[in-house]
Amino acid sequence: MGAYIVRRFLQSLIVILGVIVITFIISRVIGDPVALLLPPEASPEQRAYLTKDLGLDRPLYLQLVVYVGKVMKGDFGHSFRHQESAMKLVWERLPASLYLSFVAVLFAIGVAIPLGIISAIKRGTIIDRIGMTLALFGQSIPAFWAGIMLIFIFAVQLGWLPPSGYGGFKYVILPATTLAFFVSAATARLTRSNVLDALDMDYVRYARLKGVPEFVVITRHVLRNTFITIFNIVALQLGLVIGGAVITEFIFSWPGIGRLSLESIYSRDYPVIQATVVIAALIFVVINLLVDIVYIATDPRVKKN
Amino acid sequence: MKKYLLASIIVCFLFPGWVLAAPKGKLTIAQGTDLTSLDPARHGTTSEMNYDNAVFDKLYIFDVQGNPVPRLAVSHKMINPTTWEFKLRRGIKFHNGDPVTATDVKFSIEHYLDPKTKSPFASFFKIIKEVKIIDDYTIQVTTDKSDPLLQKRFAFQIFILPSKYVKEKGYEHFLKQPIGCGPFKFVEWVRADRLVLEAYEDYWAGPPLIKTVVFRPIPEDTTRLAELQTGMVDIIVNIPPFLVNQLKGQPGIDVQSVPSGRVILLYINTLAPGPLQDKRVRQALNYAVDKKTIIDKVLMGSGFQMAINVPPYDFGYDPALKPYSYDPEKAKKLLAEAGYKDLKVVLNSPSGRYVMDKQVAEAIAGMYEKVGIKVDFKIREWGDYVKDLLGKKLVDTGLIGSGLVMYDADGRLSLYFIKDSAFCYYADPEIEKWIIEARYSMEDKIRKELYSRISKKIFEEAPFVFLYQQQDHWGVSKKVKDFQARGDELFYLYRVSVEK
Repeated sequence: MGAYIVRRFLQSLIVILGVIVITFIISRVIGDPVALLLPPEASPEQRAYLTKDLGLDRPLYLQLVVYVGKVMKGDFGHSFRHQESAMKLVWERLPASLYLSFVAVLFAIGVAIPLGIISAIKRGTIIDRIGMTLALFGQSIPAFWAGIMLIFIFAVQLGWLPPSGYGGFKYVILPATTLAFFVSAATARLTRSNVLDALDMDYVRYARLKGVPEFVVITRHVLRNTFITIFNIVALQLGLVIGGAVITEFIFSWPGIGRLSLESIYSRDYPVIQATVVIAALIFVVINLLVDIVYIATDPRVKKN
Repeated sequence: MKKYLLASIIVCFLFPGWVLAAPKGKLTIAQGTDLTSLDPARHGTTSEMNYDNAVFDKLYIFDVQGNPVPRLAVSHKMINPTTWEFKLRRGIKFHNGDPVTATDVKFSIEHYLDPKTKSPFASFFKIIKEVKIIDDYTIQVTTDKSDPLLQKRFAFQIFILPSKYVKEKGYEHFLKQPIGCGPFKFVEWVRADRLVLEAYEDYWAGPPLIKTVVFRPIPEDTTRLAELQTGMVDIIVNIPPFLVNQLKGQPGIDVQSVPSGRVILLYINTLAPGPLQDKRVRQALNYAVDKKTIIDKVLMGSGFQMAINVPPYDFGYDPALKPYSYDPEKAKKLLAEAGYKDLKVVLNSPSGRYVMDKQVAEAIAGMYEKVGIKVDFKIREWGDYVKDLLGKKLVDTGLIGSGLVMYDADGRLSLYFIKDSAFCYYADPEIEKWIIEARYSMEDKIRKELYSRISKKIFEEAPFVFLYQQQDHWGVSKKVKDFQARGDELFYLYRVSVEK
């Protein structure tokens, strides 16, 4: 088991290193930050000064070496646009993203898991079909549309909730719901298929043959065995939305890292693009790793191998 | 005594808000973007300059017509063509009580010019050679050459910073806790969420009428609109034309529409050899565009046809020039004359940079197809597009906007027609000579005459497809009094009040 964790840890490190290099290369090919930082009237000397000041006059491989070296020490450099270190900008925004993601995932769990379980148990019935249609709907509606519709209905028409902004619980409801649409859809469908698999297992059939009441079969045998996979799915969804709630954060003017990454891409703010992407990737990888460890710790079959 | 009484009555009459004294209420403003830092010298966007206008003050500000109006400066005198003397207003204090003196003005100008500051507008002040302190309330500014625009430069930028505070506490501290001498004091800034300001009761022009001002960056247009509709914010900027009707007729909300200083054009690359070097082809490109239809249908009426690229806001605007008419037959004829019956052009357009930019470019492409021009239509994201534009790599034609800066034709013309400019795609020695002449001439009459001459030649040569001047829409809650939307996207809040 120890060896397995070490191997997974090393794999994660390679993934992170890959992300660091790839974000570096991609951000360099998408445009020139100097062109965006200065007004059109700026003089050539001013452009040259800024290019030098940002270290963009050095050859690309040298920039990469310096960059990787600094990132290893947790330093992503200074933002080109903001007068602040890129790391600090991301760090300031992270709590907002975590807050939004946790609430969204909680909302999603509350809806999606019961929906998935019921659909599986009532497989083929009208309930199952309605449940899965809802899930499909949730997966297909764009966050952009869902967000604007929620604002229109609950803020403008009904006046129950604020349209946007960062603050207490009433501010998080609409953006979290928007995100939860997507998260619950995936969670519900995966829960359903996992419960279905478990329902087909021999131990479930034996339990039923033994005359164990259906409720006990479901809770003790089916859910207990599918719980770990569902946990897995939910954790990965969380990892995805922490850095990936770009559109939702944008619509609700939520000060998270998703919106920060979008703004930094628009302004070609390389250090911030790199910091947001690398940190979002780091969170995802860490969650993945933790899920794997939990998996081994709880599943005796994996432990044996 | 009587004299004072009379004076105060006149003051009350002119500025009724002042007597009501004590600032009250809260005003929340939603703009599309946030600040990048709290140092005005680092700011390049109008959203940021609106914060600067609230916390800081300049020597001059522009009135809505673009004339410089004295603020911290009370008078100016030309000592010789390259030396100006400015007298400063006395008795003004920064938010910490320090007096505003010539030292602060000199310090601020030098701060903008210091390459380390990286002020986006440093090039606007490059012409300044020296700032000399004569006494506490007098400065002399020496320029490299005679500069008719110096006052306008000071109305555009150079927010006066507290030199003593910055020197004593350090620049880093200033960035966290800035003070100025403007009508509002800095309270708090939470990045991407809110900026909070509070009335500065000792403001030299009398206390502002609002107690608390909150700026909120809300990037999505629809969300900004919803915030105004629900009363969470009082003023919103940049309402796109297709959302304006949603607001019109809503109780409690006014829509203020003003002609913007931004002019939209279609660049023509005349530097690369090919058909676009032929004047007749460029004129044909102008005649083939139905500007009225674009404004009516695509912009839903939010635009004004332009004859050239200088709008009425600018000094040097020539009202005698009328826009190219829509004449597809003439366009075809001109193309035939030039021998390019089956002309092919690339039409580039950014997406999401200007109001309805992509849709406007699409409409133009359609109109070109109608006169037999084959169009290769390319839409790109702004950051990618501007890289080519500045690198002189733009192929054939491309949509571009030019904003209002100093209410003068010089900036706009130099940007496009001075060979060294990064944006120059049309070079003509005669136009260049006139531009330089006008730039350093101290006679308004001569300048006007020169700009008129330049305008006529530009119109004739058609180095652009001239399109339109945008119209901006602002949403303002009826609770807000005395707020006036301006063509330069800026606002000054010291006379604005808000009703509960």
